[in-house]
Amino acid sequence: MPEWTKLIGVVIIVAGLALKLRTTLVVAAAALATGLVSGLPLFSRAGQEGVVDMLGRGFADNRLMTLFLITLPAIGLAERYGLQEQSAKLILKFRAATVGRLLIVYQLFRVLHGMMGIRLNGHPIFVRPLIFPMSAGALPAVSAGELERIKAANSASENYGNFYGQNLSPVQPGVLLVYGVLTGLGSPVSVWSLVFYATPIAALSVVLGAIQFHLLDRRLQGEDAK
Amino acid sequence: MNGLEGVFGLTGLVLWVFAWLSFRDRDNPHRMGSAGFWFVLGAIFAFGSVLPHWVTGLLVLAMVAMDGAGQVGGRSLGGRSAEIGSKPLGLGYRIFVPVLMIPAVTFGTAVVFRLMKLDANRGALIGLGIGAVLAMAAGLVLTRSTIQVMMEEGHRLNEAMGAVNILPQLLASLGVVFTAAKVGDLIASGIRYAVPENSLFLLVLANSAGMTLFTIVMGNSFAAFPVIASGVLVPLIVKPFGVDAAMAGIMTLTTGASGTLVTIMAANFNVVPVALLNMRDPFGVVRFQLPFAVVIWGCHVLLLWGLIRFV
Repeated sequence: MPEWTKLIGVVIIVAGLALKLRTTLVVAAAALATGLVSGLPLFSRAGQEGVVDMLGRGFADNRLMTLFLITLPAIGLAERYGLQEQSAKLILKFRAATVGRLLIVYQLFRVLHGMMGIRLNGHPIFVRPLIFPMSAGALPAVSAGELERIKAANSASENYGNFYGQNLSPVQPGVLLVYGVLTGLGSPVSVWSLVFYATPIAALSVVLGAIQFHLLDRRLQGEDAK
Repeated sequence: MNGLEGVFGLTGLVLWVFAWLSFRDRDNPHRMGSAGFWFVLGAIFAFGSVLPHWVTGLLVLAMVAMDGAGQVGGRSLGGRSAEIGSKPLGLGYRIFVPVLMIPAVTFGTAVVFRLMKLDANRGALIGLGIGAVLAMAAGLVLTRSTIQVMMEEGHRLNEAMGAVNILPQLLASLGVVFTAAKVGDLIASGIRYAVPENSLFLLVLANSAGMTLFTIVMGNSFAAFPVIASGVLVPLIVKPFGVDAAMAGIMTLTTGASGTLVTIMAANFNVVPVALLNMRDPFGVVRFQLPFAVVIWGCHVLLLWGLIRFV
């Protein structure tokens, strides 16, 4: 079969999402179809790994991505006993607090984690239990549309801080990946020079985030004034 | 025993409790499918390191089939009970103690691992497990609640998110298949075919576009980097133009972050939060991040080109 048929997995994903089919089903179909047209066996044989084996290996090796499930009982219990109400109360104590300013601070806080060489997923442990109720509480009244935008901005603040902050320490996996790959390709680099060159983009990400969160504040205030 | 395996086992146990609670929930029309789904996921968590990969693969397909048949889901009020039924109990700010314990212990364990010259990121994961257990204990003491109530609250959050929870792992599996099928090499050779080898600006543009495109497909810039670095960056830019490899390398990696920001293939960053926060628009996070991703992408191209051309 011609080489380009291997892109069938990409086509299935795009079409499946456009048709709003169930995502898990679309992804599994894309994996099986890609393996099939590439001539990979379904199950391992004769030293060649099968597609089902790959699915199992990838799933088992990446359990750490879903480890946050273990935090749900404690967070659910705290929510039952007033976590969200207390978070809202706390943020109201700061007169100058706005959703945008909170998110700027949160993004910086996550960049700091990156500098300290810590890589973690902040969505379940910071955003859902703390940052979101604080953001929602910072406004006197929130419409459904505003709430939706605030939720999206909360998640974005976490992602911006995480993605661009994580290259600011030489022990981070992204830095080590670039180091390893470039050295392997015959262009040796030092991890410290990688961190050095990651700094301008990290700074830029903080500035761009601050602009976007400031614009969010203006928009939310504008909607409140109406 | 290996600490991380212990945390995986514990997570498996929590998932089995969730499965049991789904099974017992007679008001849930999909109780059997949901119970089966969480039970299988719990089994993969607990035994994923010892099961043969083909068995795990079949279990994954079984979970996909249960979800695909529409048999996984909670009662429609999922995720709402805390917002309407919370009982402040006059605990005040003390309610933050269990919640803050999770990041504090996660962070503390990572630092201890670092000081002991062990892998800090592994430490963070083990710390997440220890922190979660300590947080459960602290929460129970503080609220004088029962383990049953606590697990039901966890179950409520879990059902509100639903089968989306397994997407990050499932997409990682898809990445394994894409790598084996050499989908990346195909993209890199397409770029080499399309771009003239003497135009620096077009090469930088193609390098950034290829990195971002491949990250969008894979949902992961780490998977895209080796492909683009070996197919485009090093042979067509770094070596012929005598470019500082560290500068070009790290900027190529962060160009990929623009792709991560706009793809739902990066489910743990863009889809799981939609579920965690009960958002209505499944693309809400991606939509918000799109303008940021476009602007910082353009900055990457200009900065990388400018640094090579003028410095």
